[in-house]
Amino acid sequence: MEKPLPLGFGLGLRPVYYKDILEKNPKVDWFEVISENFMVPGGRPLAMLERIRGTYPIVMHGVSMSIASTAPLDFEYLRALKSLASRFQPEWISDHLCWTGVHGVNLHDLLPIPYSQEALDHVVDRIMRVQDFLGRRIAIENVSTYVTFTESEMDEWTFVREMAERADCWLLLDINNVFVSSFNHGFDRQRYIDTLPADRVVQFHLAGHSEAGTHKIDTHDQAVCEEVWALYYDACRRFGSVSTMIERDANFPPFDVLMAELDRARAIAAATELANHEAAA
Amino acid sequence: MSLAELQTKFQAGIIENDQTILTSIKDSSRTDRATLFAVYYDAYRLRLAEFLSNDFPILRLHLGEDAFGRLVEDYIESVPPHQPNARWYGTRLPKFMCEGPQWRTNRKAIDLARFERALANAFDAPDAPISTLDTLRNTCVEDWPRLTFEFHPSVNLLDLAGETARIYDALSGEEEELAIQHGEEAILFWRRDGQSFYRPVPDDERLALMEATHGKNFGDICALLAFQSAGDVTQRAAGFISQWFSDGLILRWSAES
Repeated sequence: MEKPLPLGFGLGLRPVYYKDILEKNPKVDWFEVISENFMVPGGRPLAMLERIRGTYPIVMHGVSMSIASTAPLDFEYLRALKSLASRFQPEWISDHLCWTGVHGVNLHDLLPIPYSQEALDHVVDRIMRVQDFLGRRIAIENVSTYVTFTESEMDEWTFVREMAERADCWLLLDINNVFVSSFNHGFDRQRYIDTLPADRVVQFHLAGHSEAGTHKIDTHDQAVCEEVWALYYDACRRFGSVSTMIERDANFPPFDVLMAELDRARAIAAATELANHEAAA
Repeated sequence: MSLAELQTKFQAGIIENDQTILTSIKDSSRTDRATLFAVYYDAYRLRLAEFLSNDFPILRLHLGEDAFGRLVEDYIESVPPHQPNARWYGTRLPKFMCEGPQWRTNRKAIDLARFERALANAFDAPDAPISTLDTLRNTCVEDWPRLTFEFHPSVNLLDLAGETARIYDALSGEEEELAIQHGEEAILFWRRDGQSFYRPVPDDERLALMEATHGKNFGDICALLAFQSAGDVTQRAAGFISQWFSDGLILRWSAES
Protein backbone atom coordinates (compact mmCIF):
# COMPACT_ATOMS: atom_id res chain seq x y z
CA MET A 1 0.00 0.00 0.00
CA GLU A 2 1.62 3.21 -1.14
CA LYS A 3 0.21 6.55 -0.07
CA PRO A 4 -0.31 9.15 -2.79
CA LEU A 5 2.54 11.67 -2.83
CA PRO A 6 1.85 14.80 -0.75
CA LEU A 7 0.41 17.63 -2.83
CA GLY A 8 1.70 20.43 -0.64
CA PHE A 9 -0.56 23.22 0.61
CA GLY A 10 -4.02 23.82 -0.80
CA LEU A 11 -7.26 25.71 -0.37
CA GLY A 12 -10.94 24.91 -0.70
CA LEU A 13 -12.15 26.12 -4.09
CA ARG A 14 -15.09 28.47 -3.49
CA PRO A 15 -16.87 30.66 -6.10
CA VAL A 16 -16.08 33.85 -4.18
CA TYR A 17 -12.39 33.29 -4.97
CA TYR A 18 -12.67 32.31 -8.67
CA LYS A 19 -11.63 35.79 -9.79
CA ASP A 20 -8.56 35.89 -7.52
CA ILE A 21 -7.48 32.45 -8.67
CA LEU A 22 -7.96 33.02 -12.38
CA GLU A 23 -6.43 36.49 -12.41
CA LYS A 24 -3.57 36.05 -9.95
CA ASN A 25 -2.63 32.42 -10.52
CA PRO A 26 -1.75 32.25 -6.79
CA LYS A 27 0.94 30.09 -5.24
CA VAL A 28 -1.45 27.39 -4.07
CA ASP A 29 -0.29 23.83 -4.69
CA TRP A 30 -3.77 22.31 -5.13
CA PHE A 31 -7.46 22.90 -4.58
CA GLU A 32 -10.11 20.82 -2.88
CA VAL A 33 -13.55 21.00 -4.51
CA ILE A 34 -16.89 20.11 -2.94
CA SER A 35 -17.99 17.29 -5.26
CA GLU A 36 -21.73 18.02 -5.03
CA ASN A 37 -21.26 21.62 -6.19
CA PHE A 38 -20.09 20.27 -9.53
CA MET A 39 -22.61 17.44 -9.86
CA VAL A 40 -24.78 19.64 -12.07
CA PRO A 41 -25.72 19.24 -15.73
CA GLY A 42 -23.65 22.22 -16.88
CA GLY A 43 -22.96 25.93 -16.55
CA ARG A 44 -20.42 28.21 -14.93
CA PRO A 45 -19.21 25.99 -12.02
CA LEU A 46 -18.07 23.24 -14.38
CA ALA A 47 -16.52 25.77 -16.78
CA MET A 48 -14.61 27.38 -13.89
CA LEU A 49 -13.40 24.00 -12.67
CA GLU A 50 -12.20 23.10 -16.19
CA ARG A 51 -10.09 26.26 -16.23
CA ILE A 52 -8.68 25.87 -12.74
CA ARG A 53 -8.02 22.15 -13.21
CA GLY A 54 -5.91 23.11 -16.24
CA THR A 55 -3.41 24.71 -13.85
CA TYR A 56 -3.82 23.02 -10.47
CA PRO A 57 -4.21 19.46 -9.13
CA ILE A 58 -7.50 18.90 -7.33
CA VAL A 59 -9.01 16.52 -4.83
CA MET A 60 -12.77 15.92 -4.61
CA HIS A 61 -14.42 16.21 -1.21
CA GLY A 62 -18.03 15.11 -0.82
CA VAL A 63 -20.69 15.79 1.80
CA SER A 64 -23.48 13.43 0.70
CA MET A 65 -22.03 9.92 0.41
CA SER A 66 -23.68 9.17 3.78
CA ILE A 67 -21.29 6.31 4.32
CA ALA A 68 -22.60 5.52 7.81
CA SER A 69 -26.29 5.65 6.92
CA THR A 70 -28.42 2.55 7.27
CA ALA A 71 -30.26 3.59 4.10
CA PRO A 72 -29.12 1.71 0.98
CA LEU A 73 -26.08 3.15 -0.80
CA ASP A 74 -27.16 5.75 -3.33
CA PHE A 75 -25.73 4.39 -6.58
CA GLU A 76 -27.19 7.25 -8.60
CA TYR A 77 -25.06 9.57 -6.49
CA LEU A 78 -22.03 7.29 -6.77
CA ARG A 79 -22.39 7.10 -10.56
CA ALA A 80 -22.45 10.91 -10.74
CA LEU A 81 -19.40 11.04 -8.45
CA LYS A 82 -17.53 8.52 -10.58
CA SER A 83 -18.38 10.40 -13.74
CA LEU A 84 -17.17 13.70 -12.23
CA ALA A 85 -13.94 12.03 -11.13
CA SER A 86 -13.45 10.57 -14.58
CA ARG A 87 -13.79 14.05 -16.08
CA PHE A 88 -11.60 15.98 -13.63
CA GLN A 89 -9.12 13.31 -12.52
CA PRO A 90 -8.75 14.21 -8.83
CA GLU A 91 -5.76 12.96 -6.87
CA TRP A 92 -8.26 11.31 -4.51
CA ILE A 93 -11.88 11.40 -3.41
CA SER A 94 -12.96 11.92 0.18
CA ASP A 95 -16.12 12.11 2.28
CA HIS A 96 -17.04 12.05 5.96
CA LEU A 97 -17.47 9.47 8.69
CA CYS A 98 -21.12 10.36 9.13
CA TRP A 99 -24.62 9.87 7.78
CA THR A 100 -26.78 12.56 6.18
CA GLY A 101 -30.24 10.99 6.36
CA VAL A 102 -32.43 7.91 6.16
CA HIS A 103 -35.78 7.09 4.51
CA GLY A 104 -34.99 9.14 1.41
CA VAL A 105 -34.22 12.37 3.28
CA ASN A 106 -30.93 14.30 3.08
CA LEU A 107 -30.59 16.59 6.07
CA HIS A 108 -27.53 18.32 4.58
CA ASP A 109 -25.59 17.83 7.79
CA LEU A 110 -22.75 15.55 8.88
CA LEU A 111 -24.56 13.53 11.51
CA PRO A 112 -22.82 11.56 14.28
CA ILE A 113 -22.76 7.81 14.82
CA PRO A 114 -22.34 5.70 17.93
CA TYR A 115 -18.88 4.14 18.03
CA SER A 116 -20.25 0.62 18.31
CA GLN A 117 -19.20 -2.69 16.81
CA GLU A 118 -22.39 -2.72 14.75
CA ALA A 119 -21.65 0.73 13.31
CA LEU A 120 -18.03 -0.24 12.64
CA ASP A 121 -19.00 -3.40 10.72
CA HIS A 122 -21.60 -1.42 8.79
CA VAL A 123 -19.27 1.44 7.84
CA VAL A 124 -16.41 -0.89 6.88
CA ASP A 125 -18.71 -2.89 4.60
CA ARG A 126 -20.01 0.26 2.91
CA ILE A 127 -16.57 1.82 2.39
CA MET A 128 -15.41 -1.41 0.76
CA ARG A 129 -18.46 -1.47 -1.52
CA VAL A 130 -17.97 2.18 -2.49
CA GLN A 131 -14.27 1.61 -3.17
CA ASP A 132 -15.14 -1.39 -5.35
CA PHE A 133 -17.65 0.68 -7.28
CA LEU A 134 -15.36 3.69 -7.73
CA GLY A 135 -12.36 1.48 -8.45
CA ARG A 136 -10.15 3.40 -6.02
CA ARG A 137 -9.45 3.90 -2.32
CA ILE A 138 -11.34 6.79 -0.78
CA ALA A 139 -10.33 8.99 2.16
CA ILE A 140 -12.68 9.25 5.13
CA GLU A 141 -12.71 12.35 7.33
CA ASN A 142 -13.42 12.55 11.05
CA VAL A 143 -16.25 15.04 11.74
CA SER A 144 -16.92 17.47 14.57
CA THR A 145 -19.61 16.07 16.84
CA TYR A 146 -21.75 17.61 19.55
CA VAL A 147 -23.32 14.52 21.13
CA THR A 148 -22.14 11.14 22.39
CA PHE A 149 -24.34 8.06 22.44
CA THR A 150 -25.01 5.54 25.17
CA GLU A 151 -24.62 2.91 22.41
CA SER A 152 -20.91 3.73 21.91
CA GLU A 153 -18.57 0.89 22.84
CA MET A 154 -15.18 2.36 21.93
CA ASP A 155 -13.33 5.66 21.55
CA GLU A 156 -13.66 7.59 18.32
CA TRP A 157 -9.96 7.13 17.53
CA THR A 158 -10.18 3.38 18.01
CA PHE A 159 -13.18 3.29 15.69
CA VAL A 160 -11.39 5.37 13.05
CA ARG A 161 -8.23 3.27 13.23
CA GLU A 162 -10.17 0.00 12.96
CA MET A 163 -12.26 1.37 10.13
CA ALA A 164 -9.23 2.45 8.12
CA GLU A 165 -7.39 -0.84 8.59
CA ARG A 166 -10.35 -3.11 7.92
CA ALA A 167 -11.80 -1.15 4.99
CA ASP A 168 -8.32 -0.43 3.58
CA CYS A 169 -9.16 3.22 3.03
CA TRP A 170 -7.25 6.47 3.45
CA LEU A 171 -7.89 8.97 6.22
CA LEU A 172 -8.48 12.68 5.94
CA LEU A 173 -7.62 14.04 9.37
CA ASP A 174 -9.47 17.25 10.16
CA ILE A 175 -7.35 18.85 12.87
CA ASN A 176 -10.04 21.37 13.78
CA ASN A 177 -12.63 18.58 14.11
CA VAL A 178 -10.37 16.71 16.52
CA PHE A 179 -10.00 19.91 18.54
CA VAL A 180 -13.74 20.73 18.52
CA SER A 181 -14.82 17.18 19.42
CA SER A 182 -12.14 16.87 22.10
CA PHE A 183 -13.45 20.05 23.73
CA ASN A 184 -17.10 18.99 23.40
CA HIS A 185 -16.55 15.48 24.75
CA GLY A 186 -13.52 16.03 26.95
CA PHE A 187 -11.20 13.50 25.32
CA ASP A 188 -7.43 13.61 24.95
CA ARG A 189 -6.73 15.03 21.49
CA GLN A 190 -3.08 14.05 21.63
CA ARG A 191 -4.10 10.44 22.13
CA TYR A 192 -6.40 10.71 19.11
CA ILE A 193 -3.49 11.86 16.94
CA ASP A 194 -1.14 9.25 18.37
CA THR A 195 -3.55 6.37 17.75
CA LEU A 196 -4.29 6.87 14.05
CA PRO A 197 -2.22 4.81 11.59
CA ALA A 198 0.31 7.14 9.94
CA ASP A 199 0.37 5.16 6.72
CA ARG A 200 -3.34 5.89 6.15
CA VAL A 201 -3.42 9.68 6.60
CA VAL A 202 -3.27 11.38 3.20
CA GLN A 203 -4.71 14.80 3.98
CA PHE A 204 -5.16 17.36 6.74
CA HIS A 205 -7.95 19.90 7.03
CA LEU A 206 -7.43 23.12 8.96
CA ALA A 207 -10.40 25.37 9.71
CA GLY A 208 -11.97 27.73 12.20
CA HIS A 209 -14.95 27.17 14.47
CA SER A 210 -17.42 29.11 16.64
CA GLU A 211 -17.74 29.25 20.40
CA ALA A 212 -21.08 28.43 22.03
CA GLY A 213 -19.90 28.59 25.65
CA THR A 214 -20.50 25.02 26.73
CA HIS A 215 -19.45 23.64 23.35
CA LYS A 216 -17.73 24.58 20.10
CA ILE A 217 -19.33 24.37 16.65
CA ASP A 218 -17.52 23.57 13.42
CA THR A 219 -18.57 26.52 11.26
CA HIS A 220 -15.59 27.18 8.96
CA ASP A 221 -16.28 30.90 9.28
CA GLN A 222 -13.31 31.96 11.41
CA ALA A 223 -9.54 31.93 11.18
CA VAL A 224 -7.71 28.81 12.39
CA CYS A 225 -7.24 29.27 16.15
CA GLU A 226 -3.97 28.95 18.08
CA GLU A 227 -4.89 25.61 19.69
CA VAL A 228 -5.56 24.11 16.25
CA TRP A 229 -2.22 25.42 14.95
CA ALA A 230 -0.56 23.76 17.94
CA LEU A 231 -2.35 20.50 17.20
CA TYR A 232 -1.32 20.80 13.56
CA TYR A 233 2.30 20.96 14.73
CA ASP A 234 1.76 17.75 16.70
CA ALA A 235 0.07 16.10 13.71
CA CYS A 236 2.96 17.05 11.43
CA ARG A 237 5.39 15.57 13.95
CA ARG A 238 3.37 12.37 14.07
CA PHE A 239 2.41 11.94 10.39
CA GLY A 240 5.23 13.72 8.53
CA SER A 241 4.56 15.42 5.22
CA VAL A 242 0.81 15.34 4.52
CA SER A 243 -1.22 17.38 2.00
CA THR A 244 -2.70 20.24 4.00
CA MET A 245 -5.49 22.66 3.20
CA ILE A 246 -7.49 25.49 4.74
CA GLU A 247 -11.29 25.19 4.66
CA ARG A 248 -13.32 28.40 4.66
CA ASP A 249 -17.05 28.26 3.89
CA ALA A 250 -18.52 31.49 5.26
CA ASN A 251 -17.55 34.98 6.43
CA PHE A 252 -15.04 34.93 3.58
CA PRO A 253 -11.95 37.09 4.13
CA PRO A 254 -9.90 38.60 1.27
CA PHE A 255 -7.99 35.90 -0.59
CA ASP A 256 -4.67 37.22 0.76
CA VAL A 257 -5.78 36.39 4.31
CA LEU A 258 -6.21 32.73 3.36
CA MET A 259 -2.85 32.81 1.61
CA ALA A 260 -1.29 34.09 4.84
CA GLU A 261 -2.87 31.20 6.77
CA LEU A 262 -1.50 28.80 4.19
CA ASP A 263 1.96 30.32 4.62
CA ARG A 264 1.70 29.70 8.33
CA ALA A 265 0.83 26.05 7.64
CA ARG A 266 3.88 25.83 5.35
CA ALA A 267 6.11 27.29 8.06
CA ILE A 268 4.83 24.87 10.72
CA ALA A 269 5.24 21.89 8.40
CA ALA A 270 8.80 23.01 7.55
CA ALA A 271 9.64 23.42 11.23
CA THR A 272 8.32 19.96 12.08
CA GLU A 273 10.19 18.45 9.16
CA LEU A 274 13.38 19.88 10.61
CA ALA A 275 12.46 18.64 14.09
CA ASN A 276 11.62 15.16 12.75
CA HIS A 277 14.91 15.10 10.86
CA GLU A 278 16.88 16.08 13.96
CA ALA A 279 15.03 13.52 16.07
CA ALA A 280 15.87 10.80 13.56
CA ALA A 281 19.58 11.79 13.39
CA MET B 1 -30.94 0.44 20.12
CA SER B 2 -29.83 -0.69 16.66
CA LEU B 3 -28.02 1.74 14.35
CA ALA B 4 -31.03 1.88 12.02
CA GLU B 5 -33.38 2.63 14.89
CA LEU B 6 -31.05 5.26 16.28
CA GLN B 7 -30.78 7.04 12.91
CA THR B 8 -34.56 6.99 12.44
CA LYS B 9 -35.08 8.53 15.87
CA PHE B 10 -32.26 11.05 15.43
CA GLN B 11 -33.79 12.21 12.14
CA ALA B 12 -37.25 12.39 13.71
CA GLY B 13 -35.72 14.51 16.47
CA ILE B 14 -34.43 16.97 13.88
CA ILE B 15 -37.40 17.08 11.53
CA GLU B 16 -40.30 16.52 13.92
CA ASN B 17 -38.77 17.59 17.23
CA ASP B 18 -39.40 14.05 18.52
CA GLN B 19 -37.53 13.84 21.85
CA THR B 20 -37.17 10.03 21.94
CA ILE B 21 -33.56 10.18 20.71
CA LEU B 22 -32.49 11.98 23.89
CA THR B 23 -32.58 8.66 25.77
CA SER B 24 -29.57 7.57 23.68
CA ILE B 25 -27.60 10.80 24.14
CA LYS B 26 -25.39 11.60 27.11
CA ASP B 27 -25.03 14.91 28.91
CA SER B 28 -21.56 16.44 28.53
CA SER B 29 -19.53 17.63 31.49
CA ARG B 30 -20.62 21.22 30.69
CA THR B 31 -24.21 20.95 29.50
CA ASP B 32 -27.26 18.76 29.05
CA ARG B 33 -28.12 16.48 26.14
CA ALA B 34 -31.05 18.60 24.95
CA THR B 35 -28.77 21.62 24.46
CA LEU B 36 -26.28 19.50 22.54
CA PHE B 37 -28.91 17.86 20.33
CA ALA B 38 -30.31 21.33 19.59
CA VAL B 39 -27.08 22.08 17.68
CA TYR B 40 -28.30 19.64 15.00
CA TYR B 41 -31.94 20.73 15.23
CA ASP B 42 -31.04 24.40 14.76
CA ALA B 43 -28.33 23.81 12.15
CA TYR B 44 -30.82 21.95 9.93
CA ARG B 45 -33.21 24.89 9.86
CA LEU B 46 -30.50 27.53 9.55
CA ARG B 47 -28.83 25.71 6.68
CA LEU B 48 -32.05 25.21 4.70
CA ALA B 49 -33.08 28.82 5.34
CA GLU B 50 -29.70 29.91 3.98
CA PHE B 51 -30.19 27.84 0.81
CA LEU B 52 -33.59 29.48 0.25
CA SER B 53 -32.31 32.98 1.00
CA ASN B 54 -29.49 32.50 -1.50
CA ASP B 55 -31.86 31.20 -4.18
CA PHE B 56 -34.65 33.76 -3.68
CA PRO B 57 -33.02 37.08 -2.72
CA ILE B 58 -35.52 39.21 -4.62
CA LEU B 59 -38.55 37.37 -3.27
CA ARG B 60 -37.07 38.04 0.18
CA LEU B 61 -36.82 41.76 -0.58
CA HIS B 62 -40.36 41.80 -1.96
CA LEU B 63 -41.93 39.99 1.01
CA GLY B 64 -39.79 41.58 3.72
CA GLU B 65 -37.93 39.72 6.47
CA ASP B 66 -40.98 38.69 8.54
CA ALA B 67 -43.11 37.29 5.73
CA PHE B 68 -40.14 35.65 3.99
CA GLY B 69 -39.13 34.14 7.34
CA ARG B 70 -42.64 32.67 7.75
CA LEU B 71 -42.58 31.29 4.21
CA VAL B 72 -39.17 29.70 4.76
CA GLU B 73 -40.27 28.20 8.07
CA ASP B 74 -43.46 26.77 6.52
CA TYR B 75 -41.52 25.33 3.61
CA ILE B 76 -38.82 23.75 5.79
CA GLU B 77 -41.41 22.16 8.07
CA SER B 78 -43.39 20.81 5.08
CA VAL B 79 -40.69 19.86 2.58
CA PRO B 80 -37.68 17.90 3.87
CA PRO B 81 -34.79 17.84 1.40
CA HIS B 82 -34.24 14.70 -0.64
CA GLN B 83 -31.47 15.64 -3.06
CA PRO B 84 -27.73 15.30 -2.36
CA ASN B 85 -27.18 18.71 -3.93
CA ALA B 86 -28.61 21.65 -1.97
CA ARG B 87 -29.08 23.57 -5.23
CA TRP B 88 -32.35 21.76 -5.84
CA TYR B 89 -33.88 22.31 -2.39
CA GLY B 90 -35.84 25.39 -3.43
CA THR B 91 -37.19 23.84 -6.64
CA ARG B 92 -40.60 23.20 -5.15
CA LEU B 93 -41.01 26.56 -3.44
CA PRO B 94 -43.16 28.17 -6.20
CA LYS B 95 -45.47 25.12 -6.26
CA PHE B 96 -45.59 25.11 -2.46
CA MET B 97 -46.68 28.75 -2.55
CA CYS B 98 -49.35 27.97 -5.16
CA GLU B 99 -50.79 25.25 -2.93
CA GLY B 100 -50.47 26.93 0.47
CA PRO B 101 -53.53 28.81 1.76
CA GLN B 102 -51.33 31.64 3.02
CA TRP B 103 -49.56 32.25 -0.25
CA ARG B 104 -51.72 31.04 -3.12
CA THR B 105 -53.51 34.37 -3.64
CA ASN B 106 -50.22 36.27 -3.82
CA ARG B 107 -49.60 35.89 -7.56
CA LYS B 108 -46.92 38.57 -7.57
CA ALA B 109 -44.84 36.74 -4.95
CA ILE B 110 -45.38 33.33 -6.56
CA ASP B 111 -44.27 34.63 -9.94
CA LEU B 112 -41.18 36.30 -8.46
CA ALA B 113 -40.34 32.88 -6.97
CA ARG B 114 -40.89 31.23 -10.37
CA PHE B 115 -38.75 33.94 -11.98
CA GLU B 116 -35.84 33.38 -9.60
CA ARG B 117 -36.11 29.60 -9.88
CA ALA B 118 -36.04 29.89 -13.69
CA LEU B 119 -32.81 31.92 -13.46
CA ALA B 120 -31.28 29.23 -11.22
CA ASN B 121 -32.41 26.46 -13.58
CA ALA B 122 -30.87 28.27 -16.56
CA PHE B 123 -27.62 28.63 -14.59
CA ASP B 124 -27.34 24.85 -14.07
CA ALA B 125 -28.75 23.60 -17.40
CA PRO B 126 -26.60 21.27 -19.52
CA ASP B 127 -23.87 22.76 -21.73
CA ALA B 128 -24.20 22.69 -25.52
CA PRO B 129 -22.40 24.60 -28.30
CA ILE B 130 -24.50 27.28 -29.98
CA SER B 131 -24.66 28.24 -33.68
CA THR B 132 -24.40 31.68 -35.24
CA LEU B 133 -26.61 33.25 -37.89
CA ASP B 134 -23.70 32.98 -40.35
CA THR B 135 -24.36 29.26 -40.67
CA LEU B 136 -27.70 30.08 -42.32
CA ARG B 137 -26.33 32.50 -44.93
CA ASN B 138 -25.88 29.93 -47.71
CA THR B 139 -29.32 28.41 -47.28
CA CYS B 140 -31.50 28.67 -50.43
CA VAL B 141 -34.66 30.70 -50.12
CA GLU B 142 -36.65 27.61 -51.18
CA ASP B 143 -35.33 25.72 -48.13
CA TRP B 144 -36.43 28.32 -45.57
CA PRO B 145 -39.99 27.03 -45.10
CA ARG B 146 -38.56 23.65 -44.04
CA LEU B 147 -36.09 25.06 -41.50
CA THR B 148 -36.38 23.67 -37.98
CA PHE B 149 -34.31 24.65 -34.96
CA GLU B 150 -32.86 22.93 -31.93
CA PHE B 151 -32.60 25.11 -28.83
CA HIS B 152 -30.08 25.34 -26.00
CA PRO B 153 -31.19 23.24 -22.98
CA SER B 154 -31.33 26.37 -20.81
CA VAL B 155 -34.07 27.98 -22.93
CA ASN B 156 -37.29 28.32 -20.93
CA LEU B 157 -40.38 30.39 -21.61
CA LEU B 158 -42.66 31.27 -18.69
CA ASP B 159 -45.99 33.11 -18.55
CA LEU B 160 -45.87 35.34 -15.49
CA ALA B 161 -47.92 38.12 -13.94
CA GLY B 162 -47.54 41.42 -15.80
CA GLU B 163 -44.43 43.42 -14.90
CA THR B 164 -42.72 40.57 -13.00
CA ALA B 165 -39.47 41.24 -14.85
CA ARG B 166 -39.66 44.97 -14.16
CA ILE B 167 -40.38 44.33 -10.48
CA TYR B 168 -37.38 41.99 -10.40
CA ASP B 169 -35.21 44.65 -12.09
CA ALA B 170 -36.40 47.36 -9.73
CA LEU B 171 -35.75 45.29 -6.59
CA SER B 172 -32.38 44.07 -7.93
CA GLY B 173 -31.36 47.69 -8.36
CA GLU B 174 -32.64 48.52 -4.87
CA GLU B 175 -35.22 50.80 -6.43
CA GLU B 176 -38.75 51.24 -5.22
CA GLU B 177 -41.06 48.44 -6.18
CA LEU B 178 -43.54 49.08 -8.98
CA ALA B 179 -47.26 48.84 -8.46
CA ILE B 180 -48.69 45.56 -9.71
CA GLN B 181 -49.99 45.58 -13.26
CA HIS B 182 -52.81 43.45 -14.59
CA GLY B 183 -52.43 40.86 -17.29
CA GLU B 184 -49.57 38.53 -18.06
CA GLU B 185 -46.20 38.67 -19.73
CA ALA B 186 -44.04 36.00 -21.28
CA ILE B 187 -40.43 35.92 -20.10
CA LEU B 188 -37.70 34.04 -21.92
CA PHE B 189 -34.83 32.65 -19.80
CA TRP B 190 -31.55 31.25 -21.09
CA ARG B 191 -27.85 31.03 -20.33
CA ARG B 192 -24.93 32.22 -22.38
CA ASP B 193 -21.23 32.20 -21.43
CA GLY B 194 -22.08 30.98 -17.95
CA GLN B 195 -24.53 33.80 -17.22
CA SER B 196 -28.33 33.56 -16.94
CA PHE B 197 -30.35 36.04 -19.04
CA TYR B 198 -34.02 36.95 -19.38
CA ARG B 199 -36.16 39.24 -21.46
CA PRO B 200 -39.88 39.78 -21.94
CA VAL B 201 -41.09 38.62 -25.36
CA PRO B 202 -44.05 40.05 -27.28
CA ASP B 203 -47.10 37.87 -27.99
CA ASP B 204 -46.15 36.97 -31.57
CA GLU B 205 -42.56 36.05 -30.63
CA ARG B 206 -43.91 33.96 -27.75
CA LEU B 207 -46.09 32.06 -30.19
CA ALA B 208 -43.22 31.62 -32.67
CA LEU B 209 -40.88 30.45 -29.92
CA MET B 210 -43.37 27.94 -28.54
CA GLU B 211 -43.87 26.48 -32.00
CA ALA B 212 -40.16 26.46 -32.83
CA THR B 213 -39.19 24.78 -29.57
CA HIS B 214 -41.80 22.10 -30.34
CA GLY B 215 -40.08 21.36 -33.66
CA LYS B 216 -42.39 23.27 -36.01
CA ASN B 217 -40.69 24.55 -39.16
CA PHE B 218 -40.35 28.12 -40.36
CA GLY B 219 -43.22 27.73 -42.84
CA ASP B 220 -45.62 26.49 -40.15
CA ILE B 221 -44.57 29.30 -37.82
CA CYS B 222 -45.22 31.91 -40.51
CA ALA B 223 -48.61 30.36 -41.28
CA LEU B 224 -49.60 30.49 -37.62
CA LEU B 225 -48.42 34.10 -37.26
CA ALA B 226 -50.39 35.07 -40.39
CA PHE B 227 -53.47 33.55 -38.80
CA GLN B 228 -52.93 35.62 -35.66
CA SER B 229 -51.77 38.96 -37.07
CA ALA B 230 -51.59 41.10 -40.18
CA GLY B 231 -48.47 42.47 -41.95
CA ASP B 232 -45.35 40.80 -43.34
CA VAL B 233 -45.17 37.82 -41.03
CA THR B 234 -42.26 36.23 -42.94
CA GLN B 235 -40.04 39.21 -42.23
CA ARG B 236 -41.24 39.32 -38.64
CA ALA B 237 -40.49 35.60 -38.14
CA ALA B 238 -37.10 35.95 -39.80
CA GLY B 239 -36.38 38.78 -37.36
CA PHE B 240 -37.20 36.51 -34.41
CA ILE B 241 -34.86 33.84 -35.69
CA SER B 242 -32.08 36.34 -36.20
CA GLN B 243 -32.60 37.51 -32.61
CA TRP B 244 -32.56 33.92 -31.29
CA PHE B 245 -29.23 33.27 -32.98
CA SER B 246 -27.88 36.53 -31.65
CA ASP B 247 -29.08 35.73 -28.09
CA GLY B 248 -27.34 32.33 -28.28
CA LEU B 249 -30.50 30.24 -28.08
CA ILE B 250 -29.98 27.99 -31.11
CA LEU B 251 -27.76 24.92 -31.16
CA ARG B 252 -28.35 23.84 -34.76
CA TRP B 253 -30.85 23.99 -37.58
CA SER B 254 -31.88 21.67 -40.35
CA ALA B 255 -33.77 22.00 -43.62
CA GLU B 256 -34.81 18.39 -44.02
CA SER B 257 -38.32 17.69 -45.18
